[in-house]
Amino acid sequence: MTMDAAGAQAWLEEHAINWVKTEGISIDGLVIGKHLSTRKFVASLPLGNAITELVLGYDIGGTPFLAWWDDWRRDALGDFHQRPDLSTLVAAPDRPGTANVLCDIVDLDGNTLPVCARSKLRNVTARLAAHGLTSKAAFEIEVTLYRESFAEARAKKMQGLTPMAHHAPLGYLHYNSRQQLRFLDVVLQRLDGLGIPIEGWHDEAGPGQFELNLDPADPITACDRVIRIKQVLREVALEQHCSVTFMAKPSHEYGNGLHVHHSLARDDVPVFYAPDGHELSELTRHWIGGLMATMPAAVSIFCPNINSFRRMIGFAAAPTVASWGEDDKSAAVRVLSRSPKAARIENRVAGGDANPYLVLAAVLAGGIAGIEQSIEPPAPLGVTSWGLPAGYPHLPNTITKAADAMTSDTLLRTVLGSDFCDYWVNTRRWEWLMFHTTGGDPMASTVTPWELNRLFEIV
Amino acid sequence: MNEPARIDVEPDPVPIVLILAATLRRAARTPRLAAAISHAKGNVALRSTVDPQAATMRFGNGGVTVVRGVSDDADVVISADVNKMADEKPPKPKVTGVARHLKLALTVSKLLEPPHGTWQEEAQRFFTFATAHPGIPKSMRVVCTDDGSELTLGETPAEYELHGSEHALLNVFCGNSVIGQDLLDGKIFAVGKLAHLAELTGRSLAWMLGG
Repeated sequence: MTMDAAGAQAWLEEHAINWVKTEGISIDGLVIGKHLSTRKFVASLPLGNAITELVLGYDIGGTPFLAWWDDWRRDALGDFHQRPDLSTLVAAPDRPGTANVLCDIVDLDGNTLPVCARSKLRNVTARLAAHGLTSKAAFEIEVTLYRESFAEARAKKMQGLTPMAHHAPLGYLHYNSRQQLRFLDVVLQRLDGLGIPIEGWHDEAGPGQFELNLDPADPITACDRVIRIKQVLREVALEQHCSVTFMAKPSHEYGNGLHVHHSLARDDVPVFYAPDGHELSELTRHWIGGLMATMPAAVSIFCPNINSFRRMIGFAAAPTVASWGEDDKSAAVRVLSRSPKAARIENRVAGGDANPYLVLAAVLAGGIAGIEQSIEPPAPLGVTSWGLPAGYPHLPNTITKAADAMTSDTLLRTVLGSDFCDYWVNTRRWEWLMFHTTGGDPMASTVTPWELNRLFEIV
Repeated sequence: MNEPARIDVEPDPVPIVLILAATLRRAARTPRLAAAISHAKGNVALRSTVDPQAATMRFGNGGVTVVRGVSDDADVVISADVNKMADEKPPKPKVTGVARHLKLALTVSKLLEPPHGTWQEEAQRFFTFATAHPGIPKSMRVVCTDDGSELTLGETPAEYELHGSEHALLNVFCGNSVIGQDLLDGKIFAVGKLAHLAELTGRSLAWMLGG
């Protein structure tokens, strides 16, 4: 829907809205914004409410990034704006009189900032459109549910928590789903009220872990839904005095991933479809070639935190090498080309702590680089991608190695932009520094209190 | 001419490893300390008493390799508050293994406090390093609050100013501490734009970590 200020005013009146919650997305995927009276909200259109630029200058632990300066920042500390995307205006089902709206982060002149993740993805889809291609994406959200409230979890330093499930790592066990129903029933009702369709959900392998499968949608909508679903899951947990986390590795058990499926179409014809007995098309090959060639650099985005890499180990169901294969769930890139209705590619690398807009932007950017530079993919490994020895194309396994890969990358940045890539690398090196100099233990073999304190509640 | 001392770090090093290696490289600018690095044998660990940071300097084969953690075969272990090691009066570290490895312990104590020039010389050295990076102020006025002496680096007029005691200035310019942190802690003072402070802090951090 296209809406202007007058249209927004009418919509707010029609839905008896008194307050609007603006939802901007930080580089770490956190939702930031204000609660505005409808009067102030409408008056602020089209540029949106002001927000201090400091919110873009802090790390996830609240320490200012005081080690570099970006051209898009202002010399004096000032404001940016959260420009509402009025097509996302929705009445909050749990709070009558309140509406939510997703926002892009723009400067005083309305120009999107290179660090606005939502705008970055929009730019990438525009680049795709220039090739005559459209994409749809669908995420799988993995989350772990605990019986302790956030306050109780905090008091226990997020350690020794009680998963809301049987302890065995079985997955798909209805005995576990039943224990999560009281929580999920409310979540699903609320998502329905927000207009977010869910294909299904099921118990997952980690104790207390479940997975939500989202319907395919255009890339921005797909990511908007992830952001809103994560908010709903946290809000319902707050209300029901339990807790959830999307940390990639909240304990030594199975970690939380954020797998993303994507399809391509040209004139509504699926691009990745290759009937049995047919080779993949040249475009599909080049697309996969781009995904493979950019994967080491993209790992920095897929695995944004020190903790993200604890999920990327041997035989723990997370990819550790840059590999692809037809319907191969051990591969980093799982190609599903045989179904005319559901021909798609699944990227299985990202952790639950990753920013979905950036994850999808990196995936699409990799594919675009592949078709723009006619990159042929390596042959599929033909073996299970887990637990492989040296000599295979192992992915970066630390935050610094991934940052180094993005620094030396020459493909991803042709689509994502060097200003963004350089900023991102700076923030990841900063995260490394914070871990090592503010109490993180580099010798720890499992998740540390530092990681839990920093990430459990907010990523 | 003496061979330069070999100073290596582990793959994918952690900050304390890089900081120790940078300190050893500063020491190696002095020929007798470079020789000491080349001839020393044994393992010396530095363990933080306030957080999990730790590293081991493994001397031998004509040089030193710095790795994370306290190695099981460390001959000497220095336990210190790493946040206060650059203070004017730092707390006395606890050292074990000195009795059996006195020479090694004495050598390392000298290596970890390398000689330095005047604050003006060290400021010039840091500024030369920093200005290779975009975003650094073209010029900087440094004022020593102990005696009012000052130095302008780069072209005048100065785009940025740093004020501090001789000890504080030496700390930041020798890479013992970081400009932004010392500013937050009230150890130094600055006049200028936040953008310049951020970039100078980034360079200061890089200087501390070995460039």
